[in-house]
Formats: sequence, structure tokens, C-alpha cells
Amino acid sequence: MPIEVEVFTSPGCGKCGRAKEVLRDVARELGEDRVHWREVNVLEELDHAVALGVLAAPAIAIDGKLVFTTLPSARKLRATLLSRLGVVSP
Amino acid sequence: MVGHAVSRTARLYAIGEVARRTGLSHDTLRYYERIGLLPRVGRDPGGRRVYDERDLSDLRFIRRAQAMGFTLEEIGMLLQMRADPRRARDEVRRLTAAKLAEIEQRLEEIRTLRDELRLLLNLCRGAQDGCPIIESLAEHNGDSA
Repeated sequence: MPIEVEVFTSPGCGKCGRAKEVLRDVARELGEDRVHWREVNVLEELDHAVALGVLAAPAIAIDGKLVFTTLPSARKLRATLLSRLGVVSP
Repeated sequence: MVGHAVSRTARLYAIGEVARRTGLSHDTLRYYERIGLLPRVGRDPGGRRVYDERDLSDLRFIRRAQAMGFTLEEIGMLLQMRADPRRARDEVRRLTAAKLAEIEQRLEEIRTLRDELRLLLNLCRGAQDGCPIIESLAEHNGDSA
């Protein structure tokens, strides 16, 4: 089962571009068949963002749960995704 | 209803002070007593109303319950529960449980609204230039203002 990652962004958000880059790179590295991701514009899906507890952008949810409330480092995101995939991070 | 016993040392309040503290008018305070919502309040030797802390507490409760949209009839029953929960009739207990459920649901809605407003403000603060969020929201809502 692939893991579903959502990166919450908003217009004018300074770090959101970087968050998407980090996620895109890590997902590509781990295999896009194993890590599905999508960008969620908070303003277009406000109810969904609020339900998950998003309080700022960027934020990252994994499998429907808010995991990062700020921009994570590539290393930390990779480790978290690997752990979800059942792989021990090197 | 019977007024509650007032200890000699308890602080008492004139109707003007109670009106100031609760935000209720003199007429409303007299009305609540007349319809039995509030137990008969004490009187000073001159016949003027004197309210004790318990009266004030009941009045604050009434205000809160009214703000929740409860009717005076419902509030009267809740005040019975408040006066003596152990002896409350089944009907009063059922109403109290129903009102509690109503409040829980309202709280959930208020929490969601709070979180949404907090999120919007945070998005504003995190924006690089000004607050484009407001403009985007206006576009989403088709708001031409």
C-alpha cells in the first residue's frame, strides 16, 4: 500500500515552494509508486485543512494525519516516510 | 419558590449593583422574580430588594443559558437541577442531559470556527507580501466587495 502524503500550501506562502520541492525529491527517491503525494491549496480545501488541524502553511499530512506543522528538512521527511514504509532509516 | 436563607455576614447587593454586574435591567430582574425564575429575593427593612451571592450566581447562569438560546422555561428547569441535582425530577434530568449534548455539539462547532480563523490569520502572517489570503477568499466566495 502506498502512503498518501498531502502538502498544504497557500497563496503568498514563503516556504511552501520549498516544501513541495523537498517532498517531490523525497517521493521520487523513495519511489512514486510507494509515496503518492498531492498539493492541497488550503483556501480551496479549508474544511479538510481545519479537520486535520492545519494551523499554518506549509504543513504535511501523512495518511490523513497531520505530521509536520512546519517545513521539515529533507532528511527528517525521508526518515519519517521510510519509517511509514517499514524501512529502517540509514 | 422560597428565597434562600441569607447569612448575616454574606454580602448583599442592591438591584442597581446587580444590574451593573449582570448587565440585566431592573425591569428584567423584577420580571425574573415575578415569574418565579429567580427565587424571591430578600428585602431590606425599607422593602428594597437585596440580592445575595447565590442570586447573582443564578442570574449569571440565566444569562449564559439565554446566550445559548435556551428558553426561560428550560432555564427554570435547569435552575431546579442547579438547586438540588439529587432531587431533580426525571424530566429535569433528561432536559439537562439534552442541553449538555447541545452544548457539546455547539462547542465542537465553535472550536472548528476558531481553528479556521486562527489558520487564516496565520496564513496572513506567513505571507510574503501583505495578505493575499483575503483577496483569494473573496475570489473563492465570488465576493465583489
